[in-house]
Amino acid sequence: MRPSGVGTGGAKGQDDQQSSRMHPSQRGSGSAEGEDHHRAPEGQGGPDRGRAVMEASRARPRGERAPRAPGRGRDVAPVAVRRRRGVLVLKFRVPFQSPLEACLARRSLLRDVQRHQGITQKEFAVNGCDLIVRWTAEDVAFIRIPINLFLDQLSLVIQNIQSLGIPPFLG
Amino acid sequence: MPAVLGFEGSANKIGVGVVRDGKVLANPRRTYVTPPGTGFLPGDTARHHRAVILDLLQEALTEAGLTSEDIDCIAYTKGPGMGAPLVSVAVVARTVAQLWNKPLLGVNHCIGHIEMGRLITGATNPTVLYVSGGNTQVIAYSEHRYRIFGETIDIAVGNCLDRFARVLKISNDPSPGYNIEQMAKRGKKLVELPYTVKGMDVSFSGILSFIEDVAQRMLSTGECTPEDLCFSLQETVFAMLVEITERAMAHCGSQEALIVGGVGCNVRLQEMMETMCQERGARLFATDERFCIDNGAMIAQAGWEMFQAGHRTPLSESGITQRYRTDEVEVTWRD
Repeated sequence: MRPSGVGTGGAKGQDDQQSSRMHPSQRGSGSAEGEDHHRAPEGQGGPDRGRAVMEASRARPRGERAPRAPGRGRDVAPVAVRRRRGVLVLKFRVPFQSPLEACLARRSLLRDVQRHQGITQKEFAVNGCDLIVRWTAEDVAFIRIPINLFLDQLSLVIQNIQSLGIPPFLG
Repeated sequence: MPAVLGFEGSANKIGVGVVRDGKVLANPRRTYVTPPGTGFLPGDTARHHRAVILDLLQEALTEAGLTSEDIDCIAYTKGPGMGAPLVSVAVVARTVAQLWNKPLLGVNHCIGHIEMGRLITGATNPTVLYVSGGNTQVIAYSEHRYRIFGETIDIAVGNCLDRFARVLKISNDPSPGYNIEQMAKRGKKLVELPYTVKGMDVSFSGILSFIEDVAQRMLSTGECTPEDLCFSLQETVFAMLVEITERAMAHCGSQEALIVGGVGCNVRLQEMMETMCQERGARLFATDERFCIDNGAMIAQAGWEMFQAGHRTPLSESGITQRYRTDEVEVTWRD
């Protein structure tokens, strides 16, 4: 995956290091966090297609801000973050077949008390058919475990939805 | 006639049960068993639960002969227990509740045991000895709370037994406690072990440390056999439990005792408790392994009571909690 359009200057090398662990983006989500509102192409959406798009950014050097996500109803997680140097922000986007499924998944994946709560921040949002999760931590080590846990739980929710199906009264 | 579906997965057992008006319609369960000498870790246990829970859900519905439309409420274990397994089960409960558009109920695991024990045995107002791998409490009901009269100040009695089993590399299949019980039946010599009762409370960490320390030496010198150690450990820890239960019964003037929890399956413990109850003119109640050991139906039964009393758990409050005290719950379904 291409690193997101951040990490200029001294942070770039660190960005590369972070992005080397990311899954390939479907559509070059190289834009700064929040700018990328890609949705899965029609017919290819849905949880089982599993194309989660992840973006990572390091804190921008002071004074540099990425554009804020435009439009009502979009992911309104702050894209312009002025953080202390060294804070890692990782954003994850999971396309579902419908906004209903994305919302359902979000409600199921409540933030239960986490081991590293306070060290790692996690935020959920739904943007159309996409479930967007964002982690913030000071060290990548603190994000690795929550991501693994999240992926396990996400997989379970997806299997659950697939096995029971969306009932007509909800659809 | 509401029917409640209950999910339980706070430790190494994962179960889905269906209860309707006091009748258990389904109660399938799976147990995560680890090799001898090892215990179950949260991550691995959660992985096991995630792999089987959806199949168990279907199995429960099939066994009960019900569909999603027949279910009135989804209950799940909110706590206490191990974090990762609890979360895995809660995630499914939330998803099912949303898909089926049914109310959600977070249940206290300990209260699940108590309510199932009351249902199955018919005990009216017993002093409860709740003994399992994760909990050891003496409980009595008073003014809308299950009050904890006495408890372990460190590890649960079942945890003590399980960890002792690892020292001797006793098999975990079907459970270490069961295998210790079978070995204890063949024990002939009582080895003196630390007996630690502190008022209404008990402590098991000392006896565990002691037996872990001396076991290999005593076995290698032929001073005793593994069966003798199993026998001695049971006799000692069970006597401690009987003492604190009797103390609570005397305090409450109780004429009934109910044993719940996985360790409650132990026949020797039931014998010792029966002796104490007979001496007091009291009655002992106990369930069999279907309901003593963690199961989904007990969560469904407690959920049924709570549902009838008007309890609901909004999704925003449906997070799990590893430390959930028995007396935190307001028992509005009892007088």
